[in-house]
Amino acid sequence: MRAKVGVTALALLFLGGLWLVAAPFAVGYQPRGDEYADATVNDLWVGGGLAGLGFVALVIYAADALRELASRGKHADV
Amino acid sequence: MIRKFVGAVAAALAVLAGLWLMIAPFALGTQPEDADWTDATTTEFFTGLGVAVVGLLGVIAFVLAIYETLVVRGLVVPKPKAEPEPEPEPAPAPPQASSAELASLLAPLVEALREDLNTPSRPGGEHRQNGRGSLVGVEETR
Repeated sequence: MRAKVGVTALALLFLGGLWLVAAPFAVGYQPRGDEYADATVNDLWVGGGLAGLGFVALVIYAADALRELASRGKHADV
Repeated sequence: MIRKFVGAVAAALAVLAGLWLMIAPFALGTQPEDADWTDATTTEFFTGLGVAVVGLLGVIAFVLAIYETLVVRGLVVPKPKAEPEPEPEPAPAPPQASSAELASLLAPLVEALREDLNTPSRPGGEHRQNGRGSLVGVEETR
């Protein structure tokens, strides 16, 4: 149950990272065609890192859970 | 176990990222001083706040999950919850001497005092003074 809360948090962090990447253009403080402002650069880097971190953590979590399931299946066959 | 640890580390890093987002507009100078917050500042600050809070929740959840796993495997023994201490029983009252016993104890003293008062004063105005000689000696010379 507690791990589910943690996984939900990771998913939200992943979505938050995506939002940060899109925010400069969605909110409109980065004019189109102009050079990227400092705030835009910061948002892109932090948002991209956050989304990547959340994605990698979710993938590792899922892979380890699948590995455990497969291990249980092997033991059940024996 | 490993996946929970990875999740906890990722969530902790997210907390740091959220804190950075909250201070970034002021640290990078994109927010002019003595001016209303710009759209960029508002977006970064509140997004950072949300990221930090969600990351903190994730850290707590994963740490509790790790602790639960350790308890299930017997590697950690949870501390028993401290039970409230029972109220101390009132100490039994010390046995009180009855008034009859007290009277019997004091009777010789009262009798001696009465006898002393009834005795006529000594010739020559001799008065017994406290602090001179023992009372027993004075009584024997009487």
